Amino acid sequence: MGLYIVRKVCLTVPLLMVISFLTFILNNLSPMDPAEVVLQAQGVPVITDELIAQTRAELGMDQPFLIRYFQWLMACLQLDFGDSYITGEPVWSLLGPAFLNTLKLTLVSIIVIIGLSIALGVICALKEGGLLDKSVRGVSFFLTAMPSYLLAGLMTWYFSVKLDLLPTSGMDSYRSYLLPVTVIAVSYVGIYFRIVRSSMLSNLNEDYVLYGRACGLPEKTITLHILRNSLQVAISVFGMAIPVLLGSTVVVESVFAWPGLGTLSVKSILSRDFPMIQAYVLILAVAFVLFNTFSDMMNAALNPKLRKDL
Amino acid sequence: MELLKKIMMDKLAAISLSIVAVTIVVGIFAPLFAPHDPYEVHMELRYASPSWEYLLGNDHLGRCVLSRLIYGIRPSVLWVLAALALSVGIGAILGFIAGYFRGKTDAILMRICDVMLSFPGYVMTLALIGVLGVGFENILLAFILSKWAWFARVIRTAVMQYAESEYVKYAKAIGVSNMKIMVKHIVPVSFSDIVVVASSSFGAMILQISGFSFLGLGIQAPHAEWGMMLNEAREVMFSRPELMLAPGLTIIIVVMALNFVSDALQVALDPKLMSSQNKSYRNATTSAGKLQGKEVA
Amino acid sequence: MTGRMVVWMIVLLGSVGLLASCGGDQAGNTGAADQDQELVYATAKDTNDMNPHFYAGSMPAQGMVYESLVENTEDGIKPLLAESWEISEDGKVYTFHLRQDVQFHDGEPFNAEAVKKNIEAVQSNASTHSWIKLSTKIVSCNVIDAYTIELVLSEPYYPTLLELSMTRPYVFLSPKDFVNGETKDGVNGYNGTGPFKLAEQKVDQYAIFEANETYWGGAPSLKKITAKVLPAGETTYLALQKGEVNFLFTDDRGTDSLDVEAMNKLVESGEFQLVRSKPMNTKMIVANSSKLDSPVHETAVREAIWHAVDRETISQQIYNGTETAADTLFSSNVNYANVDLMKRSYDLETAKQILDEAGWVLDNGDAIRTKNGNKLAMKLYYDTHSSSQKTQAEFLQHAWKSIGMEVTLIGEESTSIANRRSTGEYDLLFNQTWGLAYDPQSTVAAFSSTSSYYHTTSGIEKADELYKKIEQVMVSQDEETRKSLYADIINIVHEEAVFIPITNGSVTVIASADLQGISFKQTQFELPFERMQFE
Repeated sequence: MGLYIVRKVCLTVPLLMVISFLTFILNNLSPMDPAEVVLQAQGVPVITDELIAQTRAELGMDQPFLIRYFQWLMACLQLDFGDSYITGEPVWSLLGPAFLNTLKLTLVSIIVIIGLSIALGVICALKEGGLLDKSVRGVSFFLTAMPSYLLAGLMTWYFSVKLDLLPTSGMDSYRSYLLPVTVIAVSYVGIYFRIVRSSMLSNLNEDYVLYGRACGLPEKTITLHILRNSLQVAISVFGMAIPVLLGSTVVVESVFAWPGLGTLSVKSILSRDFPMIQAYVLILAVAFVLFNTFSDMMNAALNPKLRKDL
Repeated sequence: MELLKKIMMDKLAAISLSIVAVTIVVGIFAPLFAPHDPYEVHMELRYASPSWEYLLGNDHLGRCVLSRLIYGIRPSVLWVLAALALSVGIGAILGFIAGYFRGKTDAILMRICDVMLSFPGYVMTLALIGVLGVGFENILLAFILSKWAWFARVIRTAVMQYAESEYVKYAKAIGVSNMKIMVKHIVPVSFSDIVVVASSSFGAMILQISGFSFLGLGIQAPHAEWGMMLNEAREVMFSRPELMLAPGLTIIIVVMALNFVSDALQVALDPKLMSSQNKSYRNATTSAGKLQGKEVA
Repeated sequence: MTGRMVVWMIVLLGSVGLLASCGGDQAGNTGAADQDQELVYATAKDTNDMNPHFYAGSMPAQGMVYESLVENTEDGIKPLLAESWEISEDGKVYTFHLRQDVQFHDGEPFNAEAVKKNIEAVQSNASTHSWIKLSTKIVSCNVIDAYTIELVLSEPYYPTLLELSMTRPYVFLSPKDFVNGETKDGVNGYNGTGPFKLAEQKVDQYAIFEANETYWGGAPSLKKITAKVLPAGETTYLALQKGEVNFLFTDDRGTDSLDVEAMNKLVESGEFQLVRSKPMNTKMIVANSSKLDSPVHETAVREAIWHAVDRETISQQIYNGTETAADTLFSSNVNYANVDLMKRSYDLETAKQILDEAGWVLDNGDAIRTKNGNKLAMKLYYDTHSSSQKTQAEFLQHAWKSIGMEVTLIGEESTSIANRRSTGEYDLLFNQTWGLAYDPQSTVAAFSSTSSYYHTTSGIEKADELYKKIEQVMVSQDEETRKSLYADIINIVHEEAVFIPITNGSVTVIASADLQGISFKQTQFELPFERMQFE
């Protein structure tokens, strides 16, 4: 196991380097000249070519590409992503809290998704073909085909306005979590519960079940065994869900005015705030890789067979 | 054809398939089906209710909602299909090369895939429109860039299975060229895997595209697109909720139909899906791989 | 096996707990805006930097916290922090006698020394304030005695008092909040002298203002004002219906967060009232005359665009008659703007004819006109948060297409559009004049300012003449000369059709029906919250 972790980490570091390099290139593709932007932010009335050249030198932009990359990388490691083009504040002071908010939303959602998926998956598998199974599958089919913003709109209208139970938007208290978490969960539970269900079903056909029954083990014990084996599969799947979710709350955040990364990134794009976009991409990609590595390790810990499969 | 028959046996799948087929045909021949010019503004008909002339009523500029819905098939479904086809194509070619030749080529290609896959799809899309500017083409480009890698992954796995099969080994042994083996023996059998993988992400992609349009990052006015139509309807959600109905239901129905077709395809192509022994873990990991493509909109 | 699962779950739960504990408890400021004299308004944009010597912050918020020396009212300039003033014979020296009972929110006294420090802080960052011409005229600011201050100008400048009355930058922050005697590198606090003080600010969520109980003008009735960041449209509507928000107004970029129908629906419910100011500004499309690679730099193209705008339909259908059609940049009730101008009415045939004459021709079968191989294609930028702008854009796009003009619409955040205006990266964009307190002098001064309309005007033939006249009118002492100079200026920009008027805009307020005392200032950028109270 130790060796596995070492190898995994060794693979992650170069991957992170490549990602950061790509992000850096991305920023260099942006159509705005940073020197010009800085000058505008300072309110310089007439921007001459001379002034631009001078500013470029001040910003170190006349240096070779690779050197600039390493300087930038070093700055990023210290969470210095530059200043926002729009507000002039350091990017991290805006992104940091937003990242935390998105993380909160994601983690709460993940727990709900896992709980619901397992519960529904197990029940549906045990009562395969029954009314419950059929209706749950039908509803989930419908809900997964529904754009989440539509669902969000309908739910806010019903729960917040009609019933006056929940806040419509924002992030004021635990009650604010209910609607966005539900919308996110609904979209994913539809997929995940089917995985749990089908892995339960395939376990039901395993020899050990037959053997257990043949030996006259109580049905309860057999079910527990099946559950245990199927969940192992489910967990490896759930591990991958966190990073995927982290990057895809954009729409839900926008609809519910959740002060997270998604809202911030859309705003930054629509106001062409390139340092923000760059930092957003970098942070999410890094988080994605780290979570993935972490979940791989978890899986390897759960299933030793995987360790050699690197 | 065998496949089609199998699918048609399942009533639900048959209906779904015909919905998808009709949508695509209507989309391609939109000018023939649309009763009006989707861009024709009639301010005096602003928010008019359905009438015989305008079956689904008129939008905020008095444009024909039905015609816009029909023209909207093009970006919402057809262009997504094109982007999907392209990324599957790229993924398939690279997947074949990696899965068949193995070795260094494989290692390099898979590392590239690793890098691509480490940018979550949404982030990649936002990054690209962030740099290139808001627009539908940029989102499609981002889709192609972010999806090919996992198609390549999945297809490589499929190809590897077949590449190790007895008949391929035999063909190699008797000196059939690599190209020929691939075309004759591997492409046909792995085709079904490709179809399943591709179809399973079609619905999710439609939802995503509409999500971006909804956020105002996708297609720009005056072009008709379902996500944008919903966004426009959302602005008057409380005074005229009925405007959400048409585009909302259309998306749901089409995506549901696609998902049904995809499921039916999967079952039709792999009848032993549920019965095979000791396959549970493998199944789950491949479905985990698939989830990468299933970022929900 | 199960043991490992438990570990997994614990890791997850633990991290959530950790996150929740570090800052999850914002309960308390939730929910319904109570009737205890608490006003909650929705805003699409964050309140942002409250430093009053910069332009990033929300103007209505800054207007609550900070005050200027004088106030611009319907009846002209009135005293505010200055009780009275004298202007020297030559018009170069302004002497202000300050109120003696004013304190900053942090208890610091407001006196001549504080005024001097603030004005000098603004002046030391002159390039940022170049749009406000007064900043280029101030030579010195001298303390005469504890409550008397003298402002010395390099030359007479007639809009001096008008510009001193603006929401920014000539407003006053407690000198204790200065960093190294300056404000340009950030400040330590936001203590002004106004009726409300900033209590708490959370980026992209809310800002809370509390009543200044020791306000020199008497403690305001409203005890708490919360600016809540909400996306425009149905989220705001829902929040209003639920009572999470009880006040809405046209934001400082002229955008209403609700469409007219939704507003009417709220009023019909009986729980809300709608109050509209008299017309304050002109909503318009600004054309970039200096963009040589775009057809828009040709006067004929701009004229054709003008002729193809159906203002009546926009006013009647899109605004439901709440805004009136505007045919000139400034409506005739604006000072100095009662000038006879040729009316360019809505007439597609004339528009086509103008384009034909200018060499933009439709080849057989083409939908878009060309000239020397160039397409008659342009881009129009609008604010994504404004549904009325988007609707107008789509409506106009269709009309323009019928005269063979292809206009691409691009929705962006308002900050980005402001940015485009100052960098000249646009063909056409939506904008508005700055409102009664600023029209015409500030808007006209902005014609030549790089941070505003320089790119709009610099491409026209008579640009130099225009700029010269703008310089002259600001320093002219004689009313008649001023009148004729303004007439010339307005004529030049009208002839060149760089500012294409659409409607006369006003400020709209939606508030719960029991809010009394809703009134307006002479500017569209702030509201007199101190006069409001719940019954």
